[in-house]
Amino acid sequence: MKTKHIFCMYLWTVLLVFALAASSQAAKGPTETIKPVLVDLTSLLNNPGLQGDAHRDERRQKIMSTIKSGFDFQEMCKRVLGKTWQEITPADRTYFTELMTKLLENVYIGKLEDYHYQTIEYVDEKVQDDRAQVTTVVCKDDVKLPVNYVLQLTPAGWMVYDINIEGVSLVRNYMEQFRSILRTDSFQGLIKIIEDKNKSFAGASKAS
Amino acid sequence: MKRRLFFIVFILLFASGGVVRAGEKAATAKGPDLLSDDYTAEEKSSEVASYDPLEPMNRVFFTINDKLYFWVVKPVKKGYAAVLPEGIRQCFQNFFDNVSSPVSFVNNLFQGRFEDAGVVLSRFVINTTLGVYGFGDPALVSFNLTPRPADFGETLGVYGFGEGVYLFWPFLGPSNIRDTVGLTADVYAHPVTYLNWTLEQEGGYYIFSKINAQSLSPDVYEDVKKFSFDPYVAIRQAYFEHRQGKIEKQKQ
Repeated sequence: MKTKHIFCMYLWTVLLVFALAASSQAAKGPTETIKPVLVDLTSLLNNPGLQGDAHRDERRQKIMSTIKSGFDFQEMCKRVLGKTWQEITPADRTYFTELMTKLLENVYIGKLEDYHYQTIEYVDEKVQDDRAQVTTVVCKDDVKLPVNYVLQLTPAGWMVYDINIEGVSLVRNYMEQFRSILRTDSFQGLIKIIEDKNKSFAGASKAS
Repeated sequence: MKRRLFFIVFILLFASGGVVRAGEKAATAKGPDLLSDDYTAEEKSSEVASYDPLEPMNRVFFTINDKLYFWVVKPVKKGYAAVLPEGIRQCFQNFFDNVSSPVSFVNNLFQGRFEDAGVVLSRFVINTTLGVYGFGDPALVSFNLTPRPADFGETLGVYGFGEGVYLFWPFLGPSNIRDTVGLTADVYAHPVTYLNWTLEQEGGYYIFSKINAQSLSPDVYEDVKKFSFDPYVAIRQAYFEHRQGKIEKQKQ
């Protein structure tokens, strides 16, 4: 009899813990979601043990896995492609997302690596239905750069799908470029162009 | 007439360089409204992208500027930066920014930003005196007064003028009808216009200020080329959104 009682208590406790964990997950707002990602990113970039060309691959791998915890690359790609996303097969979508993730890795981690010793101020947060924006100011010396993150509420919590720097949107910029390319070229042609771009980074990093 | 035209060109370059630089310094107190557009609108509308019927011509000028950058601007600015330490170049930059204060002052007034106009005036007075003719920036360092840039293209935008047609000028880079008209008007608020200088002197002032500004800013153009699939479209879109963002911010 007593064992049954203890078992019941145990079950309730477990349920309570799960419920608490779930509610805290749901209550985690956009800014609280981004903050730890950026903190981890900054500490990775400032980690002396990871600096220099010798640690390049290890560093990039760690940075990418941190970024992926807060950034939704598929959502980003869906918006970048717009109408075309609906017309392509799931396999094409996956491959496109893979290519774009690689591209953004090449483009932005290269830039981030120049940007250690920075502080980030969290200035503002706006929530509208299932989307939100978090306004930050990146400070380096006396230069202050406004960087906005645009997020969407997914089953996994708030995820970033666009970065807006000084009014310029990352998604919108690639979207307009792809739209211009797709006007004269096929989707497979676009894939080829992105593949070539990614190869150009691989070549450049070996040469340097 | 020729002189006037040259000066317009001069101001365009000068102002466009100054706008971007000052924007980097100024911190936004509140975030812009980025949620009204979720990128799902299928067709290009005038609200989200430039109207560019002159694309073939613009692309020719774009190629010219590209060559100009790699063949002339880049080697010159590298040599210049190697000769003069960054501190001195920053002092020159402060001087050029200070001289162009009347442009920001007048446009802040036009836009009804009286507080910002006051800050521009205070910065001008402090930096001209304590900052020794504007070479230092004690207004920022000691008084925490950040620059409040404003130009007439922005003023027109605040009053509801659209950008018209996208233009890519040789030498000057991205612009549009509204901003070209705006920068032409800004010539009249720039002190150098009233100095009775010869064409050579104005040219010298302009080229010097431009190279100096270039030597202090990171190689943005090269990054854009490296990261984009069509740099022409990437720059057109970035220019549109950057200008639009500034105008929307002042309208709020």
